[in-house]
Amino acid sequence: MFKNEEMEINLGPQHPSTHGVLRVKLRLDGETVTKCTPVIGYLHRGVEKICENKTYFQGQVWTDRLDYVAAISNNLGWAEGVEKLFGIEVPRRAKYIRTLLTEQNRLASHLLWLATHALDIGAMTVFLYAFREREYLLDLFEAFCGARLTTTAFRIGGLREDLPPGFIKDAQVFQDRFLHCLYEYEELLTENRIWKKRTVGVAKLNAEDCIALGVTGPVLRAAGVPYDIRKAFPNAAYAEMDFEIPTRTEADTYARYLVRLAEMRQSHRIIQQCLDGLPEGPVMAKIPKILRSEVNEIYHPIEAPKGELGYYFVSEKGGTMPYRMHVRAPSFVNLQALPKMIEGRLLADVIAAIGTLDVVLGEIDR
Amino acid sequence: MSFLRTLIPFDIAAGLTVTGRYFGKVFFSANRKKVRAQIKHFTQEYPEVPVRLQPRFRGRLTLLKDEQGEIKCVCCLACEKICPTEVITIEKGKKEGRKMPYPVRYDFEMERCIFCEFCVESCGFDSIILNHQFELAAYNREDFSLGMDGVAQNMFEPSPVGRHSVAED
Repeated sequence: MFKNEEMEINLGPQHPSTHGVLRVKLRLDGETVTKCTPVIGYLHRGVEKICENKTYFQGQVWTDRLDYVAAISNNLGWAEGVEKLFGIEVPRRAKYIRTLLTEQNRLASHLLWLATHALDIGAMTVFLYAFREREYLLDLFEAFCGARLTTTAFRIGGLREDLPPGFIKDAQVFQDRFLHCLYEYEELLTENRIWKKRTVGVAKLNAEDCIALGVTGPVLRAAGVPYDIRKAFPNAAYAEMDFEIPTRTEADTYARYLVRLAEMRQSHRIIQQCLDGLPEGPVMAKIPKILRSEVNEIYHPIEAPKGELGYYFVSEKGGTMPYRMHVRAPSFVNLQALPKMIEGRLLADVIAAIGTLDVVLGEIDR
Repeated sequence: MSFLRTLIPFDIAAGLTVTGRYFGKVFFSANRKKVRAQIKHFTQEYPEVPVRLQPRFRGRLTLLKDEQGEIKCVCCLACEKICPTEVITIEKGKKEGRKMPYPVRYDFEMERCIFCEFCVESCGFDSIILNHQFELAAYNREDFSLGMDGVAQNMFEPSPVGRHSVAED
């Protein structure tokens, strides 16, 4: 009597909950999603190709524009990758400051994730509170390198300048306040029944699927796999830091929320250790003015807030520019788990799934 | 007990306590100047109140002159070479009574500039800086092509700032 027809709709690219210009083609049977196809490429700038025509010094400014909410992590990956390629040893103080800033950037990225994810699902209050703390961190970045988002924080061989006067005091003020702020977010969300109804059991992705799809970062750790580059292949000063890898086994949106909150606590611990044990000394290694490479190829992974961020360089003899540069962007790889997460579930869960993957389109499209 | 929990929304009350605390702070200090002065504000009333910028803030590229009013730039072209987006063009020239080369032309295409400060870093003569200006919007595209000459927009003075406040009318 009634015709049964599936409907195809577009979520995005202008949808406010897709965090940029992500378009998701959805095939709907009533409210249930039967097929999901993410369409990307709206923000493509050709960063990998551009970097082939820029020197190793210049290329860093493009890494700011990949994952623009965690630019310092991207800078770290580029700087350490190039240093690995040329065999440059960075002074210990520079390593500590790099670790300090990267962890603060992780906090800023996770705070933005918490704010927007909660806002998508319907919790408005935590958005403003999380942005308040993020604002303070961005001011610290501005004090260190002069910009809030497109930081270009590091240089090949160390840092451009030492920490500005008063930075450590300001960072300590934040440290003292932040745990109370985390407590406030948990008060607002963790036991809230609306939050739990929207997140518990939603967008499940078990450990086998995570590994098969190459998913890394908090999504993998929420499935019970304690894989973290900071522990597995320590870079910067992470080998000297004392921290844990928080994991959960539920593998749903709620578990990922808890994992990220626990990660923020661990980042807080690492920052405190960096501030307490900051060694004295120079911040820049002695490097030649023009770097000329040998025939070589390297891959350097770091733990970005969203997962494994890897830089792959192929260099030629006597070249000042990379012959080929490739970015293994965590958001790009994590996004391919989206169909697996939401096919067969409700349309409203798509928003929660995109939020919990924490994708940034600047990094996906490159 | 669990039935009682579903009936009475303790969890929502817990969240409301957090917002209530902040609401109370503002509500009870609304007309009391002494208390209000102690509460630190996180927001700034930007166009009316000038923004506090950090000393290392990266703004617009500016050419510097020394005490005699002479341009400090000696055309070593280091900034032109290091610029990732190639926005600087310098033409070398000579000037009478000056040993060092003199820039006849120093063009700066601000519309492509990404404010990375590599040029300032590469300069060995401290002849350029990035100033603290960030309100760089203009109506015409030509206003973003800065050079050594030009009345309103040039490389030595900060760019003219448009009127931003309704209160000034």
